[in-house]
Amino acid sequence: MRLHPFGLLEPESLSDALDAVTRLDGEARLVAGGTALIPMIRLGLVKPDRLVSLHRVPELATIRIDGGTLELGAMATHADIERSRAVRDGWPLLAEAVRRVATPAIRTSGTIGGNLAYAEAASDPAPALLCHDAEVRVAGSNGTRAIPINRFFRGFYEAALEPGEIVTSIRVSPTPTGARSGYIKFTSRSAEDKPLVGVAALIVLDPAGRCTDARIGLGGAAPTPIRAEGAERVLSREALTDAVARAAAEAAALEAEPLSDLMGSADYRREMIRVWVRRLLVALRDGTR
Amino acid sequence: MNLAFTLNGRPCATEAPEHWTVLDLLRDGLSLMGTKYGCGEGVCGTCTVLADGRPIRACLVLAAHVRGRALVTVEGLEADGRLDPLQRAFAERGAAQCGFCTPGIMLAAKALLLENSAPTAHEVREALSGNLCRCTGYTKIVEAVLAVAAGPN
Repeated sequence: MRLHPFGLLEPESLSDALDAVTRLDGEARLVAGGTALIPMIRLGLVKPDRLVSLHRVPELATIRIDGGTLELGAMATHADIERSRAVRDGWPLLAEAVRRVATPAIRTSGTIGGNLAYAEAASDPAPALLCHDAEVRVAGSNGTRAIPINRFFRGFYEAALEPGEIVTSIRVSPTPTGARSGYIKFTSRSAEDKPLVGVAALIVLDPAGRCTDARIGLGGAAPTPIRAEGAERVLSREALTDAVARAAAEAAALEAEPLSDLMGSADYRREMIRVWVRRLLVALRDGTR
Repeated sequence: MNLAFTLNGRPCATEAPEHWTVLDLLRDGLSLMGTKYGCGEGVCGTCTVLADGRPIRACLVLAAHVRGRALVTVEGLEADGRLDPLQRAFAERGAAQCGFCTPGIMLAAKALLLENSAPTAHEVREALSGNLCRCTGYTKIVEAVLAVAAGPN
């Protein structure tokens, strides 16, 4: 079955890409890896007349470290990121999260910028990037701006992008010294699914076992990826006992605003948040993952 | 639009409509029918081919996106009339039932072996996690891939 026909523009620089989307004024859609957009076209959910592909814009695909901050070009694929030595060594939480995106073939094509711009509530990388207080850099015809990731997801499949704006890079703050981190996802059918619930956590424990830093990101727990700030407050300065882990998980379940969909009901999601937040915290404390 | 890339080790220059995917290009443009159309949404894996040694979903990737890259389809696995060790292992061990998923599975396995010549059974299962066999005969498939990894038998 063929796709609904469209014209394809392939700009070779960011400024040409911005010109193209500005000139076409809402008629064109940007395509990065296509892993989300092409199925939507195939299913008839969108029928764009034109696509502007970013695959030939070389400055968007780099992964580099800039003064301790990781800078991911928006067109860096999940496969590029999971194989990057720098990411694996310095940002293990992010490396673990991108490794859990869908399947190997999807990770070859799917990009980090596309993943964020799609604003999927059940994104795998977003909870990890929320834990790192990442910053999304975007470019538009009026210049560039930086959006803190906790303000980037505006609503259900809605990113804080103005018409004609392009995600150019994601800046990821360094992993704190001594941090323990992990990402676990629960899928209700099979491994390649989007997470019913995804939990990313990054904690630092002092020698007495108290949390001096606690960050928890959740996917599938609300209309957008979120930080579980209530759970983080429960952990702050506390010794991470089983009871504290349970209380933090309870707070995360209460602050979540999950939706029901084909993969599971809102109630089921809330229960799984309760279980998986506790499980991850205990595993990080015990060093069993 | 014009397209130039490497296909199964040979240069290929052709034309294709701008909205074509790699799968349209292979099957309808180049009459290579080994790559199958399954779900069309990137879920089933039967259209898996290699681009620069990595697995891609031919049904999801725009043809324009493989310009300048090296594609390998199931037709390119054999060389000089000799089957790839994966093909031999699949045949010898009966690792195919109806066969519709087999091309995609062999290429997903090939991508794994190119990167990791001695995978564990778990790594094989992970690499094949995006390839569905509705005859559900996964055991022999995993055994065949492991047999190739273990070397000539």
